[in-house]
Amino acid sequence: MEPLKNEKQRKGDISLGILYNEGKVRRRREWRGFKDTMYDFGKWLEIWGVMAGVSMSRGFLKGLLRYRWMVNYLAVPHMIDKFTIGQREETLRITRTAMKQIVKDVALVIKQCLRGDRRSGNDKNFSDKCVIVDENAMTSFMMGFPDLIALQREVPTLFSANLINQNSATHYIDVAQMFGIPGDVCPMPETELGVSIEDDFVVAGKCAVQVNTTCDGSMMGNGPIAKRLEQEYGIPTFQMAAPIRHRNEDVQEYAAVEIKNAIAFIEEKTGAKWDWDAYFAAAKRVNNTTRNRLEWLEINATPYPQFVGAVFSLYNDTNYMGNCGRSAEFPLIDDKIMKLVMKGYRKKHMMAPVYRHRCLIWGVQSQYAFDMLYWMMECWGVVPLTDMLSMVIEREIAEEDTPENREQAYYDMAYLSENMIMRNRTHGGYAVLLDEMWEYCEKMNADMVMLWEHMACKALTAMHGQFEEQARQRGIHLVWVTHDLCDPRICSRQTIRDQFNRYMRTVMREEPVDPTLEVLPDDNAW
Amino acid sequence: MRDLKHLQFFEDLLQSAHNDLVRKAKEEGRICVAYMCENTPEPLLNLGNCFGVRLFAPNTGSMDIATYYMTSFLCETTRAIFERAMEGGYNFTDCLIAPDGCTMMNRCAENIELRKAMDGGEHFFYEHMEIPLKADENGVNLLIKQCRNHILTPLKENYGVDVSDTAIRDAVKAHNRVCRLIQAIGEFRKEEKPRITGYEFAVLTLATYVCPKEYLIPKLEETLEELKDRKPDDKPFRARLVVVGSEMDDPEFIKLIEECGAFVCADRYCFGSLPGRVEIELNEDEDALTQVCRHYIYQCQCPRQMNMEKFYGRKVYVDEIAKEYHADGILYDQVKFCDPWAYERVTGTTALRDEYGYPVLSVDRPYNIRSSSGQMRTRVQAFIESIEIKKIRGEKE
Repeated sequence: MEPLKNEKQRKGDISLGILYNEGKVRRRREWRGFKDTMYDFGKWLEIWGVMAGVSMSRGFLKGLLRYRWMVNYLAVPHMIDKFTIGQREETLRITRTAMKQIVKDVALVIKQCLRGDRRSGNDKNFSDKCVIVDENAMTSFMMGFPDLIALQREVPTLFSANLINQNSATHYIDVAQMFGIPGDVCPMPETELGVSIEDDFVVAGKCAVQVNTTCDGSMMGNGPIAKRLEQEYGIPTFQMAAPIRHRNEDVQEYAAVEIKNAIAFIEEKTGAKWDWDAYFAAAKRVNNTTRNRLEWLEINATPYPQFVGAVFSLYNDTNYMGNCGRSAEFPLIDDKIMKLVMKGYRKKHMMAPVYRHRCLIWGVQSQYAFDMLYWMMECWGVVPLTDMLSMVIEREIAEEDTPENREQAYYDMAYLSENMIMRNRTHGGYAVLLDEMWEYCEKMNADMVMLWEHMACKALTAMHGQFEEQARQRGIHLVWVTHDLCDPRICSRQTIRDQFNRYMRTVMREEPVDPTLEVLPDDNAW
Repeated sequence: MRDLKHLQFFEDLLQSAHNDLVRKAKEEGRICVAYMCENTPEPLLNLGNCFGVRLFAPNTGSMDIATYYMTSFLCETTRAIFERAMEGGYNFTDCLIAPDGCTMMNRCAENIELRKAMDGGEHFFYEHMEIPLKADENGVNLLIKQCRNHILTPLKENYGVDVSDTAIRDAVKAHNRVCRLIQAIGEFRKEEKPRITGYEFAVLTLATYVCPKEYLIPKLEETLEELKDRKPDDKPFRARLVVVGSEMDDPEFIKLIEECGAFVCADRYCFGSLPGRVEIELNEDEDALTQVCRHYIYQCQCPRQMNMEKFYGRKVYVDEIAKEYHADGILYDQVKFCDPWAYERVTGTTALRDEYGYPVLSVDRPYNIRSSSGQMRTRVQAFIESIEIKKIRGEKE
């Protein structure tokens, strides 16, 4: 493609590599011109405000002393900074707006976890209103329980902890491997199991619903976790199956019955009753999310993408999976982001000095743990248009309360559940992983694919040769970037970047836009 | 012991997926239904003129092509099968029915399909089935639907196979006949001085998965009769072991264990007889398809079944067969890089050791044990010695 040059001179720091040193954090804050720096700093302080709110919550101190993973949260403000590299104007504001909501959401989960936790907050009445759910579960089966909490206790323990501190999972991976789990399985469920083996999850909730989420490993890790919940803590668990070949018509009834059974289980264990009004209100919000996301993607398909990168993906993840229409806050944030996106699009705002390539990000990604996608843009002028994890829900669900729609609702909840982030692509037959990737390339006008090859994700790596062959046939540049998700000991940040650097230099024969970014001393950074 | 009269015959059948009996069936114009995974209801592949052949890749050496396509992190079983398909080793088949059981098995089938590595004629078809993740009636209903849509209908439409209730009942009857023979032969393993070795039994059982079954019946019947009068060795085995694990289509692995002085008294692995060769009981009150599916759902010992009844039940099952077959210890194995069994092996090992009190050896193994037998031999020997030491200590106390 023809490079698209940003005619507007960037204010403040130009060479961004100078911000990095060997330390845990950057040398200093990025200078973005007075207005943007002040905005950025103000928002950074707000994050501390959210953190302070968490520290006031019930059971915080006990939790901080009891749980190893809690200490990661001291690095939250740094985490936000790593997603703002080189950003100015609308882009910066979109990132800050989305990330604040994400941080607030995680902070709420931490508060809920500690409040209900038998070892710290020990609020039994609150705990009895909680239903433990998997971190990767689409919580659609909770949409009609407005008075219950979907307690995602794995989110602060593993998922968001790893966003903040790249080393947060390694201890638990070691624990699981010492227990006997081999080193070739996905480190994410392995970490979850490690946390459970070490008894480092909060103990709260009246019951638990587990789902076969992203992979065989994820599904298999559920068994021993449930065993501990049931046998040691008396928390009954329900295993809800989401069909693997989720695009097939002949599995939908099975999926809908599973949803019904999960709801019946929750009603039985908590005494709560399913509320259709709450469900349909949540359904409206889910549809709102879908409409907005599709519109953002449409804009990203133009020469002037606005909402991209890890934050785009994280925001979608938070909005769909843990929230699933239950929070009235997300639509307001959606609106704010939409305004910024439209403003940026109208004025043809560019996120980097030059766009040389339009890139689809595919595969199972480790982009949350560091600033790879923004780095690609700044270092090489490669724009990450969208990523696999953001290509989720594509149709709206029934949102009017009618007798027919009440029956349809089980199918809709099943649809949401089957299409939970990541599994909707890694499972369901090769078409959803392979064929549709090429379709998205076309739709998004991409000339390049960066394929995160999570080495332990068997569903993905098993298609390695097919990706390679088909990319050759279609003349699309396919850059393999291997990593081991939340275990940086296997693939460090620079090892990951080097793979991209090598491709850009040897295959594309290009020089970096910002050479100071090519090699960064950030392997020790949070 | 004297060699079994037909052991060589059975061993020869296991040297290639395209073995003599498969050739014979094909020459007779029969339809070869290739399939994967223990979750596929086998009798439905043996309807009318069809015969089911479960894919395996004996004598696997290099897996270079499969490793290129699937990377070195994929389960070796699936890579070996894909490699064999790429080599044209399954071109005798008329269709491939692959359940989306484990991810890797599914990807193997999909790679075969994308590479058209098994295209055996104009009616050749690939079908991918959803396999229920839980043992309950919702799962039974799903499996019925899947069998209709992905086995019965394509067989009928492409090859005109009779898929009626009567045909299914006939197929189950034939299936049960083989199961009864295998179970009867397997009963000898319970004896203090068994008249059949674990290796011999593994060979016989494996043959029933990879050949047209009815051709095996005369030889199996003869073998059963032969065993009734077979004189067991006086030399005692050092330990009796149950082997529990994933896809294991390599009797050499059992041989290796027995060469170390153990006796494999029970086989709870995916190509084994427990529960793979348990008869399917049919009544007249319900249609045969439903009953077959119910049998597969509830008998299944696959770790993919994730409801906790099955999670606990799998360990109970191993304990039961260990008791029934008088085992001294349990060997949990997984083929390298298998995700479901990576977890099941560990949870099974700890449960059987800590909660049920068995000595347990937990190993991962290559697909073809001959590619790395030394390490395995050492581990099995050490395990057997540890059981012996425990026995000696127990006797002293």
